[in-house]
Amino acid sequence: MEPSLLPIDILDAQQGFPEALAACKDLDGLMRLKGVYIGREGSHSARLMELLKAASKERKRELGGAINVLKNAWEEALKARQSELEAARRQLATFGNTWDPDLPPPIPARGAMHPLNQLIDRLVDVFRPLGYHVEEGPEIETEAHNFDGLNIPADHPARGSADTFYFEKYPELLLRTHTSPVQVRTLLRLAPHIQEKGGIRFLAPGRVYRKDEIDPTHSPMFHQVEGMLVGHDIGMHHLKGTLAYAMKALFGPAAEVRFRPSYFPFVEPGCEVDVRCPLCGGSGCRVCKQSGWVELLGAGLVHPNVLAYAGIDSNIWSGFAFGMGVERIAMMVSQTPDLRLFFENDQRFLKTMGGLD
Amino acid sequence: MLIEIKALRQELPGLCDIEPLALCELLASLGFPVDAVDTSNGATVFEVDVTANRGDVLSHRGLARDLAAKLDMELSTLPVTTLREGAALLPVRLESEACPLYATAILELGKAQGTPSEVQVFLGHMGASAKNLPPVDASNEILHRLGQPTHAFDADTLQGALIVRWAREGEKIVTLDGVERTLTHQDLVIADEAGAIALAGVMGGDSTKVTAATQRVLLESAFFDPRTVRATAHRHNLHTDASYRFGRGADPAMAQMARDLLVQRLEAWAGAKLVGAWTAGAVPPTAPPIPYNQTLLERVAGEPIPRLEALALLKRLGCQMAPEPGCLQVVAPSWRHDLSIADDLAEEILRLRGYAKIPSALPPLEGAPEPLSKDYLKRRQLASKLAHLGFCQTVTYGFVDPLESQEGNPQVDEQAWRTLKNPLGEEYSLMRGTLLRDLRDTAALNLDRGAREVRLFEIAPVFVAQPQDATTPIRECWTLALAWAGETGGEDPLTPVRKVSALAGKSHLIGVLKALDVPDAAIRAFERWPLAGVVGGAKNQLGWQFEVSLEAIPDAADRVIPAFKAFSRFPSVERDLSLLVKLDQGYRPLADAMTAKVRTSAREAFQELRCVDVFRHKSLPEGRQAWLLRLRFQHPARTLTSEEVDGWMASALDVARSLGAELRG
Ligand SMILES: [Zn+2]
Repeated sequence: MEPSLLPIDILDAQQGFPEALAACKDLDGLMRLKGVYIGREGSHSARLMELLKAASKERKRELGGAINVLKNAWEEALKARQSELEAARRQLATFGNTWDPDLPPPIPARGAMHPLNQLIDRLVDVFRPLGYHVEEGPEIETEAHNFDGLNIPADHPARGSADTFYFEKYPELLLRTHTSPVQVRTLLRLAPHIQEKGGIRFLAPGRVYRKDEIDPTHSPMFHQVEGMLVGHDIGMHHLKGTLAYAMKALFGPAAEVRFRPSYFPFVEPGCEVDVRCPLCGGSGCRVCKQSGWVELLGAGLVHPNVLAYAGIDSNIWSGFAFGMGVERIAMMVSQTPDLRLFFENDQRFLKTMGGLD
Repeated sequence: MLIEIKALRQELPGLCDIEPLALCELLASLGFPVDAVDTSNGATVFEVDVTANRGDVLSHRGLARDLAAKLDMELSTLPVTTLREGAALLPVRLESEACPLYATAILELGKAQGTPSEVQVFLGHMGASAKNLPPVDASNEILHRLGQPTHAFDADTLQGALIVRWAREGEKIVTLDGVERTLTHQDLVIADEAGAIALAGVMGGDSTKVTAATQRVLLESAFFDPRTVRATAHRHNLHTDASYRFGRGADPAMAQMARDLLVQRLEAWAGAKLVGAWTAGAVPPTAPPIPYNQTLLERVAGEPIPRLEALALLKRLGCQMAPEPGCLQVVAPSWRHDLSIADDLAEEILRLRGYAKIPSALPPLEGAPEPLSKDYLKRRQLASKLAHLGFCQTVTYGFVDPLESQEGNPQVDEQAWRTLKNPLGEEYSLMRGTLLRDLRDTAALNLDRGAREVRLFEIAPVFVAQPQDATTPIRECWTLALAWAGETGGEDPLTPVRKVSALAGKSHLIGVLKALDVPDAAIRAFERWPLAGVVGGAKNQLGWQFEVSLEAIPDAADRVIPAFKAFSRFPSVERDLSLLVKLDQGYRPLADAMTAKVRTSAREAFQELRCVDVFRHKSLPEGRQAWLLRLRFQHPARTLTSEEVDGWMASALDVARSLGAELRG
């Protein structure tokens, strides 16, 4: 094409077009540029169309060709730039709609079950597969249930007001000193049905009270979990098998139990049960005082007098019972240094110790 | 109980080959764990824990005897020459069955050489300082070596006959510790004709005590009934080495021998001359024999144990076999008061064999297991739900301070029925009637310690006195209490800060209660109860709390999967109504009236009406607020037409207008 065919201002515009196009950083600018070059009125191409109309017949053909080339070049370049800018805008829009996942998210509030309740529930779960259900009794008990029914002699020191809380207006009532009265209540209730039920087995968790001053290892209120089984021909081997199973379920397959003779009025024979230290695995540590064993609970075969009190024939039925201190195990397992933390209820303690179910 | 290893080995020479550490293990396996080992004074002294039923091992000889049975070893022979007894030098009258046997002797003390130094050292290891009075030190030494408490009186202070009798009510005695004690008729005393001179089996009297000036002593080696001694020691809060041993049961067969040994020691240490020895009463008859039961033994042991092996073990313990026709009878030794039934014998056989040998087995299931109780499951599920809703479970004591208990209970008298007689202190004397006070205190403690937000709950019984009910005068009522205080949110870009104490905080707590299926009736109690519901007092409110009886919360459903409930597959229509209502307009009456009206016409198509926005602003007309009410319709069997919905909305608006509301333009 002959440049001379076109007016000088159009040639300038043509020369400046690539730069102007590149300078358009957004669609608004591009629309303005589009208006200047190929708009319907007043644009460079509108002026070219007027020129073409006014041109002589012989020049029309040549000029028309040149104008078309020019217009097409502008249009295509503008179109290409437009789709470029539109793509950029879309990308920007997408980006604007996305939340930066690294910003702190709203976290649902985390509460916690109390560690002592967690441990009790855990024990219930451990014994559930063996057919134990949960029995409970009141915290305010009678002397009959708390002592008499458990073969505890009338002059036993535990009955004294130095050890046991009594009530001002009801001399026969006390705050239970252990969960063992639940044995008495349950045996009394189930004795008439023991044959059809095929024995008795249950776990009795609960709060108990003893007249101890509050210090890092003592509390006037604490929790126990009592377990009892009555069946035919029950012996010490069944107690051992049951506790060995339970301790493995609680502490892992390496847990082992050890029996030592001991004495509780409501069992015969009686024993203390130690478990292989769950913290050091038996190699010796501060918790087990280097012995490799930690004392876990008291247990034994149900004393015939306890069965007799409930009207159960000890020639036909026999059983075992065990009782553990929940705080004791909780402190041992968690290495909590002070018992009082369990009753202070600082949320920081509860959240780290209790956790969720 | 303190045990010196050297003295223990003197009683059982076979122990010399056993290291102290192994001995500890051995003792633990017999049921006597060693709590502490002291090697600080040139000797090894064990602190041994002995269970309450084993009075027979409260001495070196006693513990050695149990070890000898375990190890099948021989005890050393006691170096005792049995005294020839003569006629009573003064009458000894036993007036109570609580003292069946009283062995005694009178000696004239010679030129005192004093207590041998090795005995002084031994007594030092026993935590008792030697008095360098041979009668006192020798008595003490025999107590620790043999377990038989004895006593020496200054014979020249005694007046007339010696009587073992019950004290007279109000009778007085000054005991060796210098304390004057007033006795009851349940205290057994040794008396002369002038009055009580010793609390039997517990402590001697001051007026007859042995001093450096004593020239003649009267020795006492007796057997006292354990219950009597325990009761007297307890009554006078006077727990002595003697009462500890008599109270757990001494060996009556040891009484005369201990007296003889005591005489021998005084002869050797103090140049004493025996004037005469005699005994009143006799060794009480042994307990009835125990039928031997092989079946029971094997049931308890969980494995067959040869009868011969079992009997041999019992013999090693000192039991004697008395074959009766048809059944072998076992007679327990005089020192074992704890053996009375066949189960006791089984325990002894297992103990000597070692509990480690007991096999291990799971008992067979003989019947169907019972389900977990609904009450337990309800509490457990509630706790779990609340923990997931962000609440922490607390555990607090069941007793509270009656002075601070603002339980909102006008009947203060009722508290008397819930009061402990012997509390740990006044501040722990009342069984609580509400959990709210403890929860409020716990919330305050956490806020004081810098917690921004406190969400707590406790599930525990509260105590309700019902004195008219003789069987259950204090009812225990399981209760759930919740507290929410402080400020929440504001810790991420999406959650604005919100103060729980703001009016709406109560609404949030009600939302939690609804999530727990607490029925509306129970929640309304909370709404009527603003003061008790505020944590931090009415003026400085920091949050809200609430308590509800667990009985009010429905049990967990029995069904595995709930019953099918048909739902509509036709479109649901929601329409909003923006109303201007008076500032004092109650929501419930308006909502109830509108619901009632729309339900009569729309019937099964009416689903719900709820307020979804409350707008209060000065741009609204004076005294007015704007409520945005949303009504939802859905017919179970067809698509609704907009005409019918328009009609229902118009009727809803009519009702609202009749109650003073107007449509917001
Ligand atoms: Zn360890």
